[in-house]
Amino acid sequence: MPGLDEVSDIKSGGLKTAARHPVPKGEPILEMRALQKKYGAVEALKPASITFLSGEIHAIVGENGAGKSTLIKLLTGVIRRTSGEVYWCGKSVQLDNPHEAIARGINAVHQEVVLCPHLSVAANMFLGDEINSAGLMRKRAMTEAAQSVLDDLGFNLPAAAALGSLTIGQQQLVATARAAMRGTQFLIFDEPTAYLTRQESAQLFRLIRRLQGEGVTIVYISHRMEEVFELADRVSVLRDGTHVGTRKIGETNDAELITLMINRTIEQIYHKEHFPAGEVIVETRGLSGPGFEDVSLNVRAGEIVGLYGLIGAGRSEFALGLYGRHASTAGEVYWQERKVNIANERTAMDLGIALAPESRRDQGLCLNLPIGLNINLPVFGRLTRGLTINRQKEIENADRQIRDLKIKTPSRRVLVSAMSGGNQQKIVIGKWLSHGAKLFIFDEPTVGVDVGTKAEIYRLFARLLEKGAGIILISSYLPEVYELSDRLHVFRRGRLVASHDYRAASHEEVLTQAIGV
Amino acid sequence: MSAETVDSGTGPAPRKGVSILFGLTLLGLLLFLWLLLGLATNSFWTPNNISNLLRQGAMTAILAVGQTFVIITAGIDLSVGAVVGFTSVIVAWLLAAGVPLWIAIILTLAFGVLIGGFHAFGIVRMGLPPFIITLATLTSLRGIGLLITNGSTISITNEAFTNFSRADFLGVPSLFWMVIVVAIPAYVFLHLSRFGRYLFAVGSNSEAARLSGVNVHRTIYLAYILSSTCAAFVGLLLASRIGIGNATQAEGWELQAIASSVIGGTSLFGAVGSVHGPLLGAFILATINNGANLLNVNSFWQRIITGVLIIVIVYFDQLRRRGAR
Repeated sequence: MPGLDEVSDIKSGGLKTAARHPVPKGEPILEMRALQKKYGAVEALKPASITFLSGEIHAIVGENGAGKSTLIKLLTGVIRRTSGEVYWCGKSVQLDNPHEAIARGINAVHQEVVLCPHLSVAANMFLGDEINSAGLMRKRAMTEAAQSVLDDLGFNLPAAAALGSLTIGQQQLVATARAAMRGTQFLIFDEPTAYLTRQESAQLFRLIRRLQGEGVTIVYISHRMEEVFELADRVSVLRDGTHVGTRKIGETNDAELITLMINRTIEQIYHKEHFPAGEVIVETRGLSGPGFEDVSLNVRAGEIVGLYGLIGAGRSEFALGLYGRHASTAGEVYWQERKVNIANERTAMDLGIALAPESRRDQGLCLNLPIGLNINLPVFGRLTRGLTINRQKEIENADRQIRDLKIKTPSRRVLVSAMSGGNQQKIVIGKWLSHGAKLFIFDEPTVGVDVGTKAEIYRLFARLLEKGAGIILISSYLPEVYELSDRLHVFRRGRLVASHDYRAASHEEVLTQAIGV
Repeated sequence: MSAETVDSGTGPAPRKGVSILFGLTLLGLLLFLWLLLGLATNSFWTPNNISNLLRQGAMTAILAVGQTFVIITAGIDLSVGAVVGFTSVIVAWLLAAGVPLWIAIILTLAFGVLIGGFHAFGIVRMGLPPFIITLATLTSLRGIGLLITNGSTISITNEAFTNFSRADFLGVPSLFWMVIVVAIPAYVFLHLSRFGRYLFAVGSNSEAARLSGVNVHRTIYLAYILSSTCAAFVGLLLASRIGIGNATQAEGWELQAIASSVIGGTSLFGAVGSVHGPLLGAFILATINNGANLLNVNSFWQRIITGVLIIVIVYFDQLRRRGAR
């Protein structure tokens, strides 16, 4: 790519020490040997050995939480491995910081663009590696160089425009061009087409093939089978942090890959008790709102209704809509067979809906406040007598939830930020147990939660059902919703596309419906 | 953690020991300054000077308490100085127009409520950053006040009103009693009522608060209305003290209030703060100014010393917090 070489010549950055094409095409360029990552007791990536060949496009597929992002972070030096080795061009390397990875020529393009929207396209492409002369930035030289790279890549993008004025897809292309400029030998794409239009995807694919043509090794992470088969030379499958196999693309098919992706062994932790389904607690008819459309479903007392789909399929948006966080645009909600208008969160709570939201950090908890305050937050009205809070009741309620849920803390006064993921999730749940509800919505209740706590949470579900509550369980982890749901609804692109009774469909069928192969 | 008080409940006082320690440290600093000035000057420990000091600190202290409510929600109220000047004009104008004293007082406080409501409206409905909306009223209110007075001052002839600020009760200046009158309900509100908890929750994570059924908008209205009403109350006290209404009075008091609050352990990132912290902060600042005057320190130096002290005190508070984590 002459354009790129020119740019590399202009610049004198210290990072691009990697020689071009250090390894002949088809030879191993990066080799993982028993690479492992543990977070505390949780094994995010079990010892995995994958070899990437120079100049290939190597797809990695797996469910959410299968360990794909852990793998990327390890290879780009964002996190440190627990054990194992990485060989780069035949030599053992540390890769324990991002600078080392970049200096060696390993780069990643993330699903969400992590650049500065207020700076120009050119400034972003040269960010951290600006062209200077006599200590001053040569803005015009950078704009020209950036423009020549963009033109050369066949992108019809203005280098002088602010990055934020472009679409997400165009920003993604800029991020890719940025990586391509930095003498990259090994480029990882993390679900790059998640937010792209068809046309933008096609443009990106052309760029990827072109980079491959120049000897760059591509790792392509995706949910979308059709893309994998269109692009990749080989594909590796991850499942629950385990590398379960690598196939040449010509020697496999999507059925095999999907089978590999799914954990077939039903773990003992899925504690499922069946209760006779009671009255209908809530029913939506054609409910639409921001991010979801025309959803009709109901939840009865004593049952778990599972919502499965990929991230961004509209499940959480539906939950927030039902909870009154966003106004619905069409459709109706019936609460115990009475039509209701849930205008805000308080209305939902007063009816008897509880929501443990998707993100503990952003939606669930006040992290820099004490556990006790978080647990009592929905019920301070009830704890107030006259002007002031009844201190005794406040303490009792917090301590009861801490005790009942076995939240491991020396005191209710400890800040939530000091707690582990599992304990934080229990605090979110404790909040809603103290409030009490007829319908509990659990959105990704076990993300970042250890296995023991998972099992506790599932047993808690049974306890709630026994008392006559209904549960909506949202999860991106198929075995979880599959094993726990009395009815399972599949969401894709904001719509409810399929419904199954308990274990009526196979994992493959459900996953296929979610992905939309 | 820091200067939040509260105690046995589940309020934001995770580390009771440290919290009280910080409060004591500030109190200790205040007493140390008093002791030092007592040794260094003959005039510090005179009834006159102490009364004077309490009067000087009183108004900043009340402003700082109101300001703290806002800062706990992760906001800021830059308008309080202007509100003080503006409301001093309002009360003088009303009295000059022959409005009975008690009605004038109530109307003036109502202006405070209105101004705070307007701030919250700008933040909640118009999506303006607190810094911007309160900066805008800071300049506009001074302008309106100057328009009303035509750039001059309105004298207050009501003696009952002007005598109030000079009066003592049980040997303590009435202005200082007003601090207590504000501080006790403020303490009950912030540390003992659910609305106080809501302020902390909104300042920590407004989305989580909202999903927990907290009326976030109402909480923000409450915070800004309380801040402006405290400022309007200080406007009354100031008008009483100087006997005039003048829109240019109280220039820069918003910064004094914010400084007092921050010295008192309030975090500008929200969700950390107390009522007693800003009170101590205000009197520490007042003591520094008072002492500098007694020691004949150039008033330009006073400003520099105040700035340095803000940095030192808040830096040590940060260190302590990091250590506590």
